[in-house]
Amino acid sequence: MPNLVHLSAGARRALLLAPALIFLAVFFVMPLADNSARSFLAEDGGFTLSRYADFLTDRFYLGVIAETVILSAVVTLISVVIAYPVAYVLVRKAGRFSGLIVFLLIAPLLTSIIMRTFGWQVLFARRGLINQWLVTDLGLLDAPLRWLNTPGLAIAALVHVLVPFAVLSIASVLQGVDRRLEEGAQMLGASKLRTFFEVTLPLTTDGIGTGAILVFMIANGSFVTLVLLGGGFQTLPLLIYQQFNTTRDFALASTMSTILLVIALACLWLQLRLLRRQGV
Amino acid sequence: MRFSDIALWAFTIAFFVFMILPIAVVVVISFTSAGYAAFPIPGWSLKWFARIFEYRPFIDSLWVSLQLGVVATVASCVLGVPAALYLSRARSGWATAITTFLLSPLSMPMIVIGFASLFFLSALGFGVSFLSLAIVHTVICLPYVIRTVTAVYRAVPPAYEEAAQILGASRLTTFREVTLPLIRPGIAAGSLFSFLTSFDNLPVSYFFGSAQTTTLPVVMLAYMEHQFDPSIAALSTLQLLLAIVALVVADRLYGIEKMTVAT
Repeated sequence: MPNLVHLSAGARRALLLAPALIFLAVFFVMPLADNSARSFLAEDGGFTLSRYADFLTDRFYLGVIAETVILSAVVTLISVVIAYPVAYVLVRKAGRFSGLIVFLLIAPLLTSIIMRTFGWQVLFARRGLINQWLVTDLGLLDAPLRWLNTPGLAIAALVHVLVPFAVLSIASVLQGVDRRLEEGAQMLGASKLRTFFEVTLPLTTDGIGTGAILVFMIANGSFVTLVLLGGGFQTLPLLIYQQFNTTRDFALASTMSTILLVIALACLWLQLRLLRRQGV
Repeated sequence: MRFSDIALWAFTIAFFVFMILPIAVVVVISFTSAGYAAFPIPGWSLKWFARIFEYRPFIDSLWVSLQLGVVATVASCVLGVPAALYLSRARSGWATAITTFLLSPLSMPMIVIGFASLFFLSALGFGVSFLSLAIVHTVICLPYVIRTVTAVYRAVPPAYEEAAQILGASRLTTFREVTLPLIRPGIAAGSLFSFLTSFDNLPVSYFFGSAQTTTLPVVMLAYMEHQFDPSIAALSTLQLLLAIVALVVADRLYGIEKMTVAT
């Protein structure tokens, strides 16, 4: 056995890296590859593309893919639009309150999705606080509204889970904007609004992009909120969950997981390209 | 104050009402005296916290979740810290590629990782067991440790370690006396995120449920599908309390600013 002390620097370094690399190769890459392989495995043990052919020509399943992507895109768009002003206040206006704002952003991240879903269910129950405000206290409605199991509430709950990530990533980009560029624009006569739209916003678009992709990727894989809050959505993760639970067509579930995986890999690739452009 | 500032602040306050309200409501309900989950509550009581300890599955799964969180975190540190030490000092293109690979479990849909691992680990003969759960949880916790330790160690100038070695310290002594104390905040932050991620995980744990291996979130999900009583609120409040205590302890030990550098 070679003496550890006399190993070359390269070998010693490889030893540092090897455990993590081997572990992920065996228990992360191989399961995913094995799972995708199952979706190409024909009944007779041969190779087949028939599941993808069936899947990608079926109107229902195409609809599911579209719904998965569109739902995630809508959630992402809402999250980014809401997050930008909050991130702006955090970086530029908060001053001594910035610690409090960061705490209020982190605190929800410490709570389980089950806890938040429970909160939504209570708030928006038929006799819940929101209906009580709208009907009794403010008199805006004649009768309580049915909120639970509506698409709107499910989207709001998803935004609630994902928007802190958007705020944190946009805030980190805003922090890096050189204030002198904005001051320069204003000295040259641009209004504050114009400075924002023509200087600040363009300087932060790449950062918004990375934040948006992060939110989109998490949204694409989430299903617990949709299982508990309903909303009538048919998304890939939800269907995988149902296949596993009830229908138990594992080959179909493998096909759907592979498609979800390909979308995730595409997002990851896009994110890396954006990061490289930012020179991080 | 200018009008635009007032509008910005009003928006921010509304945003935090939206963020905090659903959580605050659950905390309040966990102290309700009523037999049902509704807000506002008719009176205060601790009976739903007592209920947690009467319902066996809650306690059993809480124990499983705590053990799992510790095992996955320790395993992530053992695997992740050496890799992070190497990657923070490497400058080459393939080191960047390896970092991306080691962080990639964060970007993959959890439900796919859980579903795929169940079949793979069953084929290997691990089946539905605590060991299987520990392996899959380590896959999803490892990136947190690598990310935080890498961020902290990158900020440490190599000069400290070089100085120790010039003064005659061996590699091992340098590591123990110089490197380790410097990266400890990164390990603490990474372990904290790792534990909380494991403890809260549902999409992966879901696939590995059995009498001995069901984790708390899985039991809570099953419970919620059948009944809607305040015991879920009490459990959630307890879980939040645990997370806050962990955060405060980590803050006391290492300072929150040092840890946010790492996030």
